[in-house]
Formats: sequence, structure tokens, C-alpha cells
Amino acid sequence: MNQSQLPETLEEKLEELGQREEAARQMGGKDKIARRTAAGIMNARSRIDVLLDPGTFSETGLLGVSTVFEEDRDKTPADGKVAGFGLIDNRRVGIVSNDFTVKGASSSMTNMKKIGHVKRTATDRGFPLIFLGESSGARMPDNMGSEGMGTMLGNDPHQYVRHRETPWVSAVLGQCFGSSAWYSCLADFTVMRKGAVLAVASPALASLAIGQKVEPEDLGGWKLHSEETGLVDRVVETDEEALAEIRKFLSYMPSHNGETPPVAEVPAGSDEAADHITQILPDSRKRGYDVRKIINCIVDLESFFEFKPRFGRTAVTGLARLDGRVVGMVANNPMAKAGALDVSGCEKVTRFLVMCDSFNIPIINLVDTPGFVIGIEGEKKKAPGKIMNFMTALQMCTVPKLSVIMRKSYGQAYLNMGGGRNSDSVAVWPTAEVSFMDPQYATEVVTWGKDASDEEKGAIREEMERNSTYLGLAQIFAAQSVIAPQDTRKYLIEELKIQQLRRSGGIGRHNMASWPTTY
Amino acid sequence: MTITNVASEVIGSVWKVEMNVGDAVKAGDTIMILESMKMEIPVEAPVDGKITEFKVQPEDSVDEDQVLCTIES
Repeated sequence: MNQSQLPETLEEKLEELGQREEAARQMGGKDKIARRTAAGIMNARSRIDVLLDPGTFSETGLLGVSTVFEEDRDKTPADGKVAGFGLIDNRRVGIVSNDFTVKGASSSMTNMKKIGHVKRTATDRGFPLIFLGESSGARMPDNMGSEGMGTMLGNDPHQYVRHRETPWVSAVLGQCFGSSAWYSCLADFTVMRKGAVLAVASPALASLAIGQKVEPEDLGGWKLHSEETGLVDRVVETDEEALAEIRKFLSYMPSHNGETPPVAEVPAGSDEAADHITQILPDSRKRGYDVRKIINCIVDLESFFEFKPRFGRTAVTGLARLDGRVVGMVANNPMAKAGALDVSGCEKVTRFLVMCDSFNIPIINLVDTPGFVIGIEGEKKKAPGKIMNFMTALQMCTVPKLSVIMRKSYGQAYLNMGGGRNSDSVAVWPTAEVSFMDPQYATEVVTWGKDASDEEKGAIREEMERNSTYLGLAQIFAAQSVIAPQDTRKYLIEELKIQQLRRSGGIGRHNMASWPTTY
Repeated sequence: MTITNVASEVIGSVWKVEMNVGDAVKAGDTIMILESMKMEIPVEAPVDGKITEFKVQPEDSVDEDQVLCTIES
């Protein structure tokens, strides 16, 4: 704009404003955008358009730019991060969408202020916050040197604090280093597109640092994060799928922790599915089955939304609905390690308990576990500590907790899966088997050093098996109900109504609102 | 015509193979049973089709995600 031709009238000023805004909306320019489109990758603004209810995006900071270096003023439309507010299913959300076409969506002064604003508003005014991640990290050289550091970093003492006032969602949609990685870890739900990378720093930098070539997939690919680290909840093939999953996740959540989740309609056929349980549960206690099939017979049709399906597979966690109301399902899966809980399984369940309890979602345990996995590998991963984290989280929950012992429930795991007073109410199936230790091992322990014959051991084992049935719990009221498997859905719906937090309108005390996000 | 790999979900060994090459299967049918941590783990067909190849036989050790057999549909 020529200095001597400054707009004078309101009309001229508005016209000039319109031109600036239009230029800012072009992001990194038509060429860069076209290349992404050709590669089947969405851009910062198209992602927002698809994610939000049509026409509801109200942008904040469109004219924000980098003012650190004069030459960057014209090269940083929206300062590389598109931020604002909108609606999803008619409910308010805040959103930050990284624009990789502008300096790799790197973080700098102006865009960090934008994030701070959206974050503060969402937290204080009570609605979810969504990060669409694709960022190269902090902007260089803006942040270099002591003055750069002092200006750019560390000025917000609450930048990474979470009190889980409102749900946070993160999508890993490309290279995510620095802030996109941080927010993915802090989020309640993280979805990752295959091919994207989530790591502290880029493969290029890592290669430089260790003097060896580092492959992006090894450093932070979808397999690493969905199977080994568990930092990602679900993996998808495309940006569009990721956005659909965000909408789906949010449909299970309240807008903020002071309200209960929305109630949905119950799909026709949900009650009828309950009878299929008898076809899935094997007659033999030695036969495994996929507990997700049982879950699908109990919850409202197609309402089960699994978290971390490929991590800690011995446990299954996911959101679902019963009679239209959101619940958090926790189950042992006999398909994996016979349902024995390992460290990853413990971590997965603990994290899930924290999320459900923080957002007023009742918890339902479906139990079939021979105990914890024992051995050196688990001990190296601090198994006893993880088991205790799990117990602490379970015992700090103030949302209703229900437990159904389907088959095995042994030892300490009996407690971790809600046994005894670790649930508000426990039900057992007639197939339940409860004891401290599997009779086979227990026989060895009690006859240790006593020179018992095989016949004597056999008799001891049989006696133990006879005393492990559901009756032992029912007769001393250590279980509150005995139910047939096909009545589980009906039982849970009724019990949830009984256990509803009436005095607080369904709101828990959120003892774990500040629980760490990774541990 | 698509080939579907049927993969193991567990670490264990092959206990019983219930079908033969050429058999027609429906999604959900049990093709074989693995043994893992003293449990019998059924391997079910993920799709309808015909079994074209077995990559394992009884007593073979198997790993998570290892392909056990293929189905043509």
C-alpha cells in the first residue's frame, strides 16, 4: 500500500481491510495449497470447514502476523495458525488449526497469543478445545539467543496446565513437533492420520543429533504411537476420517465438567442384541473370546467407541451408551494374554478412568482376568507402581462405578477391576470364578515342601475350584446381585439409574482433574 | 477378487486347524484354534470367501500380527 494513498473515507478503509483479509485467507499461497490438495492432504482452513457445522466458524486474529523480523510481516498470514470458535452439532467449540504452508506453522509470538486466547476462553467459558496439529515446532530464528528465548518462551506460567475443565481434542495430521506434539499429549482424545509423525523434534534434527539416519516412522509414526507408546487413541487413513472421529468423540462428552454428557436416542434393536451373549460366551473356561463382542451385545447398538485398540490389548477401554446415556466401558480381553493385565493395560485403563471421572461419565467394568502378568518384563516397567496408580485412580473416582464379574477374577486384579467396595455395586454371572490365585498354582503354594502326592494335590485343587464359584460372593453379600449374562444390559441400565448422582445433578467431585496426562 | 490375510492377535502356538484349503468360509467361522497362555484362542474368518493357503500348521509358534492363512473373496 502506497503511503501517500492511505484510505481516508470509511468506505476506502473497509475496502482495504477486505483486501488484507482476503490475502490472509490465502494462507501460504495458491501453489502450496494446490500441491497439498493434489496429494490428498487438506489445509488449515478446509479442515475447519469440514469439521465445524457449516458457516459457524468465527475466526479470531485473521490479521495477526509475525512482527519479529520486518520481512516476515508480509509472509505470515494469520501468523501460520488459524484460530477461532464455531459449532459442532450445535455446541460451541474453540479451535486452533495449524497452517503448515506458512513457515511450517511454527510457533511464534502472535500465534501463541492467539492460542492462549482461544484456550483461556474455552476453559473459562466452558467448551471443548480442538487442536488440528501439523507444526514444525517453535519458529527459528525468532526464538534463538537469550533474548529470543526470553521473549518467546516461558512467559505463560499456565501454558501446559490441565485441570480438565473442558474436553481437549488433538488431531495429528502431519509433522507434529513442538507445540502440536505437546497439545497431543495433553489432550483427552488424540487421533492420528497414518503417515503423520508425532515426536519431540524432527527426524532431520534427530539424525543430526545422533549421527545416524532416523526414519520418521521409527521416530514417531502411527505404529509406534498406537502400539508401543499409547500416546495416540485412534488411527485413521485420511484427514476427513480424523475430523469425523473428532465429531464422534465430542458427541460422548459434556461441553464442560459442570454438566453431564448429552443423551442420545436408543437405536432400534439394542435390547434384542443382549440375547446374543450366550452365543459368544464359550462353555469351556479355557476357551478365549473377544470381549468386544460381548460389549457390543450390552451397549446401545453401534455405540462402542474404542480407545487405544492396539495398545495394552489385554484390556479394552471405550466410550459407549446405555439407554442413550454415556458410559465408560473397561473390560479384560481373554483374547490377549488370557486377559491377564499387563503394564500397558494398566496404563490404558488408568488414563481412561481419569478421563471418565473428570467428565461425569459412569464406569462399567466387565471382568474376566486371571490376574496380573508376572515376570521380569513387567517389573522392569514398574508393574507394582502401575498397579497402584490404577488402584488410586479407581478409588478416587466419584462417578458411579459398576462391576460385572463374567468369569475369572483373581487376586489383586479382583480389586483393580472393581471388586468388593471398589465399585458401588457388583454383579456376578453364574460362570464367575473368584479366588486369590488360580487353583493350579495355589495347590503348589499350599503343598510347598510337604511332599504331597499327585492325588492329594488333585483333591486340594478340586476343593479350591468348588469354593471359587459365584455363590461364595453372593452368600456373604460381597456381590450385590447374581444375573444371567443375557440380562446384563437390563441390569446395568437399572443399576445406573439407582446409582445416579442425584444430589449433584450427575456431577462428580473431579478428584483427578489435575492428574498428569502421561506417566 | 481380493486376498485377505488372516493374522494372529496373540503370541502363542497353533493347536488345532479346523478347516482345509479350498473350504468355503463365512465371516465369523472358526478357522483354527491357537493356544496362548493356556487359553484356547479361536481364529475367526474376517470375511466370507474360500481358504486359499495355510501359512502355519499345528504346533507352530505364532507371533502377534503373523499371517496364519489367506482367504480369497
